[in-house]
Amino acid sequence: MAHAHAHSHSVKRYSGLMDWLTTVDHKKIGILYLIAGGLFFGIGGIEAILIRLQLIKPMNDLVSAQVFNELITMHGTTMIFLGVMPVIFALMNAVVPLQIGARDVAFPFLNSLGFWTFLFGGLLLNLSWIMGGAPDAGWTSYTPLSTTEYSSTHGVDFYTIGLQIAGLGTLIGGINFLATIITMRAPGMSFMRMPMFTWTSFITSAMILFAFPAITVGLVLLSFDRLLGANFFDVAAGGSPVLWQHIFWIFGHPEVYILILPAFGIISEVIPTFSRKRLFGYSSMVFATILIAFLGFMVWAHHMFTTGLGPVANALFAIATMLIAVPTGIKIFNWLFTMWGGQIRFTSANLFAIGFVPTFVMGGVTGVMLASAPADFQFHDTYFVVAHFHYVIVGGLVFGLFSGLHYWWPKMFGRMLNEPLGKWTFWTFAIGFHLTFFVQHFLGLLGMQRRIVSYLPNQNFDTLNFISTIGAILMGVGVLLFLANVVVTARKPSGVANDPWEDGRTLEWSIPSPPPEYNFKQIPLVRGLDAFWKEKMAGNKEMTPSEPLGPIHMPSPSILPFVMSLGLFIAGLGFMFSTEEFSNSFMSLIFNKYIVMIVGLVITFAAMIARSVFDDHGYHIETEELEGEGKA
Amino acid sequence: MTANQQSNEGHTVKHRHRTEGPEKHIIVFIFSIILTAIAFAAVAAGGVNPAFTIILLLVMAILQVFVQMGYWMHLKDKGHLMPIVFMIGGFFVASTCIIMALFWVWW
Repeated sequence: MAHAHAHSHSVKRYSGLMDWLTTVDHKKIGILYLIAGGLFFGIGGIEAILIRLQLIKPMNDLVSAQVFNELITMHGTTMIFLGVMPVIFALMNAVVPLQIGARDVAFPFLNSLGFWTFLFGGLLLNLSWIMGGAPDAGWTSYTPLSTTEYSSTHGVDFYTIGLQIAGLGTLIGGINFLATIITMRAPGMSFMRMPMFTWTSFITSAMILFAFPAITVGLVLLSFDRLLGANFFDVAAGGSPVLWQHIFWIFGHPEVYILILPAFGIISEVIPTFSRKRLFGYSSMVFATILIAFLGFMVWAHHMFTTGLGPVANALFAIATMLIAVPTGIKIFNWLFTMWGGQIRFTSANLFAIGFVPTFVMGGVTGVMLASAPADFQFHDTYFVVAHFHYVIVGGLVFGLFSGLHYWWPKMFGRMLNEPLGKWTFWTFAIGFHLTFFVQHFLGLLGMQRRIVSYLPNQNFDTLNFISTIGAILMGVGVLLFLANVVVTARKPSGVANDPWEDGRTLEWSIPSPPPEYNFKQIPLVRGLDAFWKEKMAGNKEMTPSEPLGPIHMPSPSILPFVMSLGLFIAGLGFMFSTEEFSNSFMSLIFNKYIVMIVGLVITFAAMIARSVFDDHGYHIETEELEGEGKA
Repeated sequence: MTANQQSNEGHTVKHRHRTEGPEKHIIVFIFSIILTAIAFAAVAAGGVNPAFTIILLLVMAILQVFVQMGYWMHLKDKGHLMPIVFMIGGFFVASTCIIMALFWVWW
C-alpha cells in the first residue's frame, strides 16, 4: 500500500540503454513496441517481396520450394504476431492512458513484462532462419503437415515455442489494458464517454483474453506431439488432425478481429478530427464493436468448410459469418456520415483513413463471398482467399496503423511527420497495394492455388503475377518513404504544440507533446464525449482539473521483466533442442538432460521470487518539482 | 503490485475497509468442506445406484462453484459487475470449444 509520504525519495533513475531496458513508462514501452514491431514488419516485408519475386514469372527458380514454404510461413506468422500486433500495442500504449486521463496503465511492471516476452518470443522465432531452418507448415501450421513426420527440422518447434512466449506477452498486455480501462478512467469519463480508440482497445483486449488461451493450448499440444511423443493429432494413435484446425481457428478468427478493431478505432478518431465534426453514431459504433467481437467467436468454422463438417454446420457458420457484415456496415456508414458536411482536411493521416474505407469495404465484400459455403468450395486455398485477407489486413489494418502513426506521431515524439512525404507514402503504398492484391482476386478465380512455389506458363497467370510483383515493390517503396520520413522528422527539433492538429477532440491533445512522465499534472474532469473539444467549445484553453495539485506516485523502473523473459527464451531453446542428437557430448549433456531448459526456468522463477519478496513501492514526484517545471 | 495499481490515484486514494467480519467466511468455508465431504462419502459408501452418485456429485459440484465464485471470488459483492461479465464471456467461449470437441472431433 502506498502510504502518503511514508517513503521519501529513493528514486532509481537510469539513463541510456539501461533506461529502455528497465522502463515501466507506458509511453516508452509504446515506443519500444513500435521499434520492435517495425523491425519485424520489415523482416516480414522482405519475405513478402521475396515471395513475389519468386512468382514474378512462370517456373521461376529464385528460391527453392523448401525456402519458399519457409518464406510464406514466416511472412504470415511474422506479420500477424510480430509485426502488426506490436504496432497495435504501440499505439494502445502511447494513446489509451492519455485518452482516459490516466498517469499510466494499471500494472506498469506487467506492461514491461508483456513487451519483453513478446520481443524474446519473436527473436526466438526468427532465430530459426540461422538455426537449421524456419517453420515451413504455413502460418496455420496444420497437422499432420506440422508433425515431425512431415516437418522434420526444428522449424515448427521455433513456431510453437516462439509463439508461446510471444503470446504470453500479448495476453499480459491485453489483461493490463482491460484493468486500465475499467479502473483508471478520469472522473466523469463514463464508458459511454470513452473515445472510440479506447473502446476498440478495450474490446480487443477482451478478445485477446478469451482467444489466446485457445492458441496456448493448441501450441502446447503440438509441441508435446513433436517433442515429447504425444499423439493429440496423430490419427494412427487415436488423435485428430481436425482438432488442431478447430483449436487454431477458435483462436485464429477472433485474432483477425483483434487486429482490425483497433484500426476501426483509429479511423474513428482520425476522421472526426479532420472533418471537424463529432463521430456520427457514437453509440452505434460502440454497439457494433461489441457485436463484432461477440460474433467473432462464433464463426471460426468458416475456415473449415471443406473439412466435411456437414451441411447443417456449414450453413450455420455461413449465416453467422454473413451477420458480421451488419455491424461492420454500420461502421462504414457512420464514417461516411461523419465526413458528410464536414470540413475535411486531407492530411496524410486522413488520406490513410479515407483510403481505408473503400479498401476495407472491398475486403469485406469478398469476405461475404467467401462466407457462402458452396462458393467457398471453389475459392478455398486459391489466390482469391489471399486477395481477401490482404484487403482486410493490409488495406484495413495497415492503412489504419499508418493513419494512426501519422496522427499520433507528434504526441509520441513531439515532432510532426513531414506532410508531403506522408502523402507520397500514402499514394505509393495505396497504389502498390491495389496493384498487388486486386489482380490476385482474378488469379484465384482462374484457379491459381495459394502456397505454390511456381506455376506453368500460358495459364493466364503470367501477366497478372507480373503486375502483382510490381505492386509489391511499390508497396516496399511506400514503406521506405515512411522510414525516410521518420529519419527526416527525427532530425527536426522537438516541441510541437499540445494540440498540433488544432482540432484534437480527446484528452491526449490537452497535454504537452510528448507528455511528461506523469502525463497529467492534475487528473482532468471529463464533462462529456470528446472531452477536450467540449472544453474548447466552452471557451476554455485547458481541461478543468478534478484534483488539487499534489505529489504524484510513480512506479520504479525494473530490470526484472527483461530477466524473466530472457529466462523463458533460454528455457524455450533448451526445450526445443532436447530431442536433438548432438555429435558433441557437451551439447548433448546440456540439452538432452534438460539442463539448459532448467537454467532458463530457474532464471525466470528467481526473477519472479525477487519481484514477490522485495517490495518496491515506487516514488513520488513532489509538488515543488511539478511547479518548478512551470507550464512545460 | 498494489503500489503500482494505485499510482493513478496517488495520495488521494480512499481506502475502503471491508466492514464484513470473518464469521461469514468461516461458515462458508465449513459449508464448502461439507459439500466436499458429502461427495467423498457418496463415492466411498459405494453400494448405492451409481447413476444416483453421479447426479449427487454434479449437484455438489454446481453448489461448490457458486460458493467459490460468490464468496471467495467476491462475485456476490457490489462493484464486481465487470468480473461477472468477463466470467460469463469466458464461460461462453469455453463452452463453444467443448461443443466443438464433442460434436465434430469425438462424435
